[in-house]
Amino acid sequence: MDFGWNAEQERFRATVRAFLKDNLPADWETQAEGPGSHKQTAFSRVFCAKLAEAGLLIPHWPKQWGGREADPWTAFILAEEMWMAGEPRGGQYMNVNWIGPTLMRYGSEAQQQRYIPPMARGEVIWCQGFSEPEAGSDLASLRTKAEKNGDTYVINGQKIWTSYAGDAETCFLLARTSPGKSGISIFLLPMDTPGIIVRQIPSVIGEGDIHEVFFDDVTLPETALLGQEGQAWEISRYSLQLERVGIPRFALASRMLHRAVGRLKQAGRFEGDAVTQAARANAACEAARLYNYSIIDQRARNLSTGPEASAARYCTVMAERAVGEFVVEHNADALAGADPMLLAHHQRAIVAGIASGAAEIQLNIIATEFLQLPREPR
Amino acid sequence: MDFQLSDDQSVLMTALDGLAERFQSKPTEHHGFVLFNEELEQELAQGEFFDIAIVPDFGAVSAAMAVEKLARLPYAAEIALSMLVRPHLRDGALPRPFAVVENGRPGRFVANAKTLLLVEGDQVSLAHPEAGDAEAVESIYAYPMGALTKQISATPLPADEAETVRTWLRVALAAEACGLIHGAIDSTVEHISVRKQFGRPIGTFQALRHRMAECATLAGGLRWLVLKAAATGDAGDAALAAFQAQDVGTRVCYETHQMLGAMGMTLEHPLHLWTYRIKALLSDLGGRGGQADAVGRTCFEADAS
Ligand SMILES: Cc1cc2nc3c(=O)[nH]c(=O)nc-3n(C[C@H](O)[C@H](O)[C@H](O)COP(=O)(O)OP(=O)(O)OC[C@H]3O[C@@H](n4cnc5c(N)ncnc54)[C@H](O)[C@@H]3O)c2cc1C
Repeated sequence: MDFGWNAEQERFRATVRAFLKDNLPADWETQAEGPGSHKQTAFSRVFCAKLAEAGLLIPHWPKQWGGREADPWTAFILAEEMWMAGEPRGGQYMNVNWIGPTLMRYGSEAQQQRYIPPMARGEVIWCQGFSEPEAGSDLASLRTKAEKNGDTYVINGQKIWTSYAGDAETCFLLARTSPGKSGISIFLLPMDTPGIIVRQIPSVIGEGDIHEVFFDDVTLPETALLGQEGQAWEISRYSLQLERVGIPRFALASRMLHRAVGRLKQAGRFEGDAVTQAARANAACEAARLYNYSIIDQRARNLSTGPEASAARYCTVMAERAVGEFVVEHNADALAGADPMLLAHHQRAIVAGIASGAAEIQLNIIATEFLQLPREPR
Repeated sequence: MDFQLSDDQSVLMTALDGLAERFQSKPTEHHGFVLFNEELEQELAQGEFFDIAIVPDFGAVSAAMAVEKLARLPYAAEIALSMLVRPHLRDGALPRPFAVVENGRPGRFVANAKTLLLVEGDQVSLAHPEAGDAEAVESIYAYPMGALTKQISATPLPADEAETVRTWLRVALAAEACGLIHGAIDSTVEHISVRKQFGRPIGTFQALRHRMAECATLAGGLRWLVLKAAATGDAGDAALAAFQAQDVGTRVCYETHQMLGAMGMTLEHPLHLWTYRIKALLSDLGGRGGQADAVGRTCFEADAS
């Protein structure tokens, strides 16, 4: 057992850090716009194109699509460094983590040729159209309809909370082609198709992050269907596996904890309960880090990860919470203009237990699949 | 990063599983506060398991895994100090069992210890008690508890060795607590899976499922903190593991007893054999406040001051 990094991993991390240093603007960390803002999204197109040129956008992709088949550790180190730097890839992290690889597996030849190369060049923004006003955690109850009409599909309905929708070229859309869970299909929908309206939702988490998207007789060629009709659940399961542990949020949480403690020390206020709460938050961050690493370790050895991946995710949620609560209690001024970095982190952190599925859903999985408790009656 | 067990470690763990087999469950007729059986320690001594930390192919990580695994048994035994602290003393071959007396209060295994570590604030001293120096003390903790009957002569350890001892005391405490926490959770999961109320197992109620899932997640995270602390021997890693052990332990004691209802109050059900060992560990080295101070000193050094 070894809790250190090997030389190659250290080198790779240093390369990514050097790239970030050279390519992020000097005031990057104090910019107040939200991660989904027009400004940051525009920046991500420039940034990701450079990342691609440096071979740092898709190192884990197959050679056929421009990657070098780097191992899961490389991909995770990259994700850690990007997230710690405020995720300058913006929404493109989804392309490289799961949308691209999902198209490689389930896309038609034409879909692959059309969509994958621009992702590999770091040029395009996708959004993920899953949640609806009446279908959040219970995603299978979604209502947005896709009706077959000759060789087209006609989409009607509404999505909500859709990140990056305002700037995305394409939507990875879940819509219903027939009743029931097995009646959900995936469409690759160009966002400039007539009949789509996108509205930004003002929020405490910053400008441009979440949107409503309305579909009014949006007509698509049948070639926009990904895989088969009704295959959405199977495909999503595959996508989800690619994203097993989710965003390495613990890495930024830990960095912000140290920043917050540094501020307290400078003010001569790192004492008493602040020390206890900092210790609690630090333990939560390190537990999350190691739990996540244990899952990556399994993946690197081609073992199936199982329900422990949900536990790793939930550890991350607890770490974000502990750091967030520490900052609010002991660095109160940070949310009132004194520290834009801590504020930006706060805004990202409060969604940790919601944005990629409610934490309670992870707890359900842990209870049933890991602890093997009898299921809840439905 | 590499979390795979070596072949040697796998063999070791299998051997421990075999040895532990006989001690897996509480004898039904046993209704005491403590379940103690000298045979477990004797077998560990015969198999030279107390020395695994100093065997190069195993090391302290293996010792921590062993301590954690054996603490899942309902039987109390002096394992943690012997496996994880004793090897890190300058004289690594002092006679066991070991025990700690913190600020003069009763401690685990004190009555029968051959080597005592006396902890007072930052000071640690070493003593070898003679007959009559210590006696057994009645308690509801699930360890044989003992206390000194008089002040005994002890040799203060130099500051650096005392620091090392405190670090490994934290690793030992965290490794043992981690196993106990897992034991308490397993026992509770078993109970709520079969106990029926309102026509269904109480483990189907989400109010219990989620709390148990959270406890299990905390316990899993703790285990990694313990193994890392054992691997690095770093004071900060040890303090984090010990803090988390006491924090999670506090939570798990409450949750598990709550979910057993009145059954958890009995000596017939084994739950107390884990929870009342956890409770005995919660105050070690100043409790959470003590560990937090250590975390504050060691983990945030590099942050501006
Ligand atoms: C910042 C942000 C970005 C997002 N981006 C996108 C995106 O790009 N695309 C997209 O499709 N969606 C996106 N989402 C939506 C996200 O996937 C949903 O918020 C999430 O699935 C939860 O659904 P909900 O918000 O409707 O909450 P609900 O389903 O209404 O749940 C509310 C709360 O109820 C509880 N709850 C629900 N079900 C259960 C249960 N079975 N057991 C116990 N408790 C339960 C949980 O505490 C949960 O938090 C985003 C959300 C956020 C906050």
